[in-house]
Amino acid sequence: MFFRMLRLIYLYKNLTRNILRTILTCAAVALPITIFVLSTSVIDGIQGFLDNSAKQLRLAVTHRASVVNPLPYGYRAKIESLDPTRTRLLSVCGMRWIGGKIENDPRPLSTLAADHDTFAATFPEQGLTDEEIELFKRDRQAILVGPSTAGEFRWKVGDRINFRPSVPPYHPLEFHVVCTSEFPNKDPVTNFCRLDYFEEELKRTAPEWGNPEGMQPTGWVSFFFVKCATRADLDYFRVAIDDLFANSPDETKTQDEKTFINEFINQLFNLPRNLTILAIVTIFVAIMAAANTMSMNLRDRMNEVAVLKSVGFPGAQIFTLVQTESLILCAIGGVLGAAAPYIAFNHTPLKDFTVPLIQHLDVRWFVCLKSLMIALVVGVLAAAWPAIAAARMTVIGALRALE
Amino acid sequence: MPLPLYYNWRNLVRRRMSTALTFVVVAVVVFVLSALLAFAAGISASLAATGSSRNILVLKPGATAESTSLLVPDEVARLHQTPGVARDADGNLLLSQELCIQTSIPRREQHGALANVAVRGVDEVAFKVHPEIQWVEGRMFRPGAMEVVVGEAARDRYANLELGGTIELGRLANRSFTVVGIFEAAGGALESEIWGPRTLFVDAYGRYFNSSVALRLAENADAEEAIKYINGPAVELEAKRETDYYKDLSTKTREIVILAVVLVGIMGIGAVFAVANTMFAAVDGRRREIAMLRTIGFGRTAILTAFLIESTLICTVACSLGLAASLFLNGSRQDFLSDTTWTVLAYELRVTPGIAASALIVALFVGVIGAVAPAVRASRIRVIEALRKA
Repeated sequence: MFFRMLRLIYLYKNLTRNILRTILTCAAVALPITIFVLSTSVIDGIQGFLDNSAKQLRLAVTHRASVVNPLPYGYRAKIESLDPTRTRLLSVCGMRWIGGKIENDPRPLSTLAADHDTFAATFPEQGLTDEEIELFKRDRQAILVGPSTAGEFRWKVGDRINFRPSVPPYHPLEFHVVCTSEFPNKDPVTNFCRLDYFEEELKRTAPEWGNPEGMQPTGWVSFFFVKCATRADLDYFRVAIDDLFANSPDETKTQDEKTFINEFINQLFNLPRNLTILAIVTIFVAIMAAANTMSMNLRDRMNEVAVLKSVGFPGAQIFTLVQTESLILCAIGGVLGAAAPYIAFNHTPLKDFTVPLIQHLDVRWFVCLKSLMIALVVGVLAAAWPAIAAARMTVIGALRALE
Repeated sequence: MPLPLYYNWRNLVRRRMSTALTFVVVAVVVFVLSALLAFAAGISASLAATGSSRNILVLKPGATAESTSLLVPDEVARLHQTPGVARDADGNLLLSQELCIQTSIPRREQHGALANVAVRGVDEVAFKVHPEIQWVEGRMFRPGAMEVVVGEAARDRYANLELGGTIELGRLANRSFTVVGIFEAAGGALESEIWGPRTLFVDAYGRYFNSSVALRLAENADAEEAIKYINGPAVELEAKRETDYYKDLSTKTREIVILAVVLVGIMGIGAVFAVANTMFAAVDGRRREIAMLRTIGFGRTAILTAFLIESTLICTVACSLGLAASLFLNGSRQDFLSDTTWTVLAYELRVTPGIAASALIVALFVGVIGAVAPAVRASRIRVIEALRKA
């Protein structure tokens, strides 16, 4: 007990002997850990988004040739006919991308026109209240605005807003905001308006925007989302839907929603992969910085180690001493590096900071905990070489090396 | 009198381990900086090289990109009166009607993840409107034949686009087109595209319209006048200089630059601490030596500069190593999905002289800031005390 106390005191003295060096090392470890926490949070955010998609048991039906090729709207009834009882195939929601842009404002909007009757049932993570569902069904011009979009443009429920779709008819349409609320796992930017309203406008204004001959302006959707009851049903309908339209003019490609979204994410700079590389590189920097300190510490205390050895401390104990010192250093750095982004992104105005793709940067405590663990591993790795060198050092050699 | 450089060099070599570790830290920071900036520079360079200031791009008012624009023949006809449009030797207007569509093609790497590649239907006149298009291999497609030509970047990045390859196009992906030519376009965004006969694409996709029209102006024509005419009541379409259109697409690069600045800022501060740590250790280890130098007549400034030089020496050498490592990325092809056009732009990473300069600035900053405090401490060592202590 006494010796253990003594060892702790010795460790403490060692760390405070060169307080400046301890502080600098902690900082040099803390900053890479901060970067690690942030990049892991972004990756986790993407993963969480994908996991939610997987949990929703939804299929995305697109055109087999390309995502951008439209599908005939009539496919909805055909897909629904696969299960008329609606017990296994719960709902089908058609959607058409219309983008959008407010007059004289460069910021693009992300808007989809969707089937109003099945939207709420297909997307429960939108968290619509009964009242909002009712409004969406009753008002042709209703629009559900993504919470962060609503914040950006200062839109609130009850507002009448105008914007131009990025596709025909290209002229401003009026919408009535019925929902701007947040909900867990809800996509915070995308707006949803009603497909029937959009199509009606499209048909009405066809002469204006010059609907070309031989082209049917309405009756097309970009994709269908199909909500299934169980995982088995999901696998069944994924094949059944494609079989249904095989050899038809517009063959379909049905994927589960996670695969569908992942395809887009991978095209955006391959974000998850590149961030992982970055995280590894920064950890490498932290190891280097800590290893530097430990080897400097050892060199300064060469004579001490020699003395310890000569009075009978075994190599293993000296090894543990060096390792523990490095562990403590990196633990302090790790705690600082992990706590800073946790506090900054959960309890300061930075909370509302948005990043592309996942929007809210959610720095979770277990990511911080994981980073702390990694900081400890950094400590072990950084001290490996100095600790082995110290343990192996012969008394004679060390004493002779001194001036 | 300053200390000889050789003195600094010997000192660095003497403390091999900590010099090497500090060196690696700075080199990694420089590498991350130049790699991130190389992404941004690659995209900017590709988009900046696209388009000609003599060209005007006409879209439907309200459309945000070529891919969502729709021009009917009637609207194209109104463009024929635009003032200042150039004519070729046969007297034909240099007015190129273009149909932009997209197709999903697997990438060559990454387990063949699909990418949305732009397909552009053009007539023969397009190659006069876009004279930057040069043939690298093969030839131009014959009008009316099921043939396409492919940009160099697209060929390198996506499967089956080499000379002689075939791709399935059309709304039902049931028309087989053969690749008969590979072109380059001064490194611009057009190199990420597939070009083919417009009339066949119109039929294959059932799109009886154009997406955009590119006009080439005569050498001395006033672009502003032409744009005003097209935006005005006579035509009522939206005209932009081609170069402006592509400049607007490069807003994405700003995000990467911001990311690079934030990340490298944090890592750079970490590196400053690492350097300061090493230099403090160096100073402490050499108190006696410094006192000796002072005694034989070297001034405080000489000591101060010696330590600054020592640290900047580590950092500049590390910087060149980091840059050299990032040069391996130079020229590697990446692509990204533009959220305006929904098509991928393949580009080459570029480590430009500007990037090298900013890397050097960061390295010098790290070296100098990290060494200031230790160097000041070294210059203030009290001679008698330090000599006696030993």
